[in-house]
Amino acid sequence: MKRLRTFAYFEPASVAEAAETLAAHGGAARPLAGGTDLVVDMKLGRDRPGAVVNLKRIAGLDHIAPQDGGLRIGALCRIRDIERSGAVARRHRALSMAARVLGPPGVRALATIGGNIGRASPASDMAPPLIVHGATITIEGSGGRRCTEAADLCRGPGVTSLAGDEIITSVYLPAPPVRSGTAHLKIGKRGGGTDIAIVGVAAGLVLDEEGTIAEARIVLASVGATPIRAAQAEEMLRSARPTGEAFAAAGAAAAAGTNPIDDVRASAAYRRAVTRVLVARALHDALGAIGGAPS
Amino acid sequence: MITVEFTLNGEERRIEADPCVTLLEALREGLHLTGAKEGCGIGECGACTVLFDGEPVVSCLVLVGDAAGRAVTTVEGLAADGALDEVQRAFVATGALQCGFCTPAMVLTVEALLGAGGPPTREAAVEALGGVLCRCGTYPKVLAVIDTLSGGAA
Repeated sequence: MKRLRTFAYFEPASVAEAAETLAAHGGAARPLAGGTDLVVDMKLGRDRPGAVVNLKRIAGLDHIAPQDGGLRIGALCRIRDIERSGAVARRHRALSMAARVLGPPGVRALATIGGNIGRASPASDMAPPLIVHGATITIEGSGGRRCTEAADLCRGPGVTSLAGDEIITSVYLPAPPVRSGTAHLKIGKRGGGTDIAIVGVAAGLVLDEEGTIAEARIVLASVGATPIRAAQAEEMLRSARPTGEAFAAAGAAAAAGTNPIDDVRASAAYRRAVTRVLVARALHDALGAIGGAPS
Repeated sequence: MITVEFTLNGEERRIEADPCVTLLEALREGLHLTGAKEGCGIGECGACTVLFDGEPVVSCLVLVGDAAGRAVTTVEGLAADGALDEVQRAFVATGALQCGFCTPAMVLTVEALLGAGGPPTREAAVEALGGVLCRCGTYPKVLAVIDTLSGGAA
């Protein structure tokens, strides 16, 4: 049986206590949320923490609640709960779609949104939709509370902008603009895509009153060292009509802007090819979501 | 050592456990409930599936301390006094197992799916069974079990 090397185990009752415990162990401590990344890494010997700080005894970090016209989601909110939330599906559709395919059901019941973005994997399923939705991330540590843009959290594979004693406590999704729609698509080795993304795409479109694209957001997973904005493709779409041709061209531009690698799941060439297709599809899907029904 | 209090197959339990073991390890080796299996050990195959408050979770990624306060159901908890429950009887009648390694996980997954309020759609059934990898290919039979138990609505 795959077993875990011994570690010191803590169950802090508050954010302050968690921060203190993380600080006390320096780089040897890891925060534990759902465990679906950390425990895997520990079993595979990729991570060998001297201390594990289980955050799940801290109350109040797993709620989904309306706030200032938008939605606040606690960092310990489980992916399963996000996927089942009507509030998320209605106005933050890309996040809802991404939650549904983050992993198999038995993983989604444990995994958390904070853990997913805190892991800072380039393949993150939560990060691209959060960036498309313009989300901000609330972070707390012994130095107090601060906010950061979702796009600024991940600095590299496995590296966040968090200090050693900081944890993510919630994400805030602002109210979406009028005449906007979002979508998330992903391809993985498993049917339904419910494993690590080979390519992930979150897309958002805002139309003006004439039906022209006022703003486009395209964020890609697994084709760079962090989730990346397809800035050139976004620029092409601004002031364009939302046609199949425009989306196809955006897909091509997005693919050209990627820097994927060959790995066990796919080749760089495959990733580029799939990016082109998924971006066009995601834009089409996002367009279809404007003015209406969640999927 | 930590003390973990939880409900296991309907019974209140209080165990002393090494906090560095997973729930799967604690169930199999501490409590001798060997229905949950280690397939991959990293949450991808679902053979370690148990139910937390009626929901399938991969117990190989759960630290034993996180069973605290939960209602945990393993396959051993289904047969009351040795009599197989309805789902288990349907698996037998339909022949929905071959090597049997994934069967505890499949049975619990079906219990959870039907317990969630149904009848489940075909799509929901397929999605649920995606959480358990079966190399023998029993999926059509397990879908038939779901179909039978939900009155043929799937």
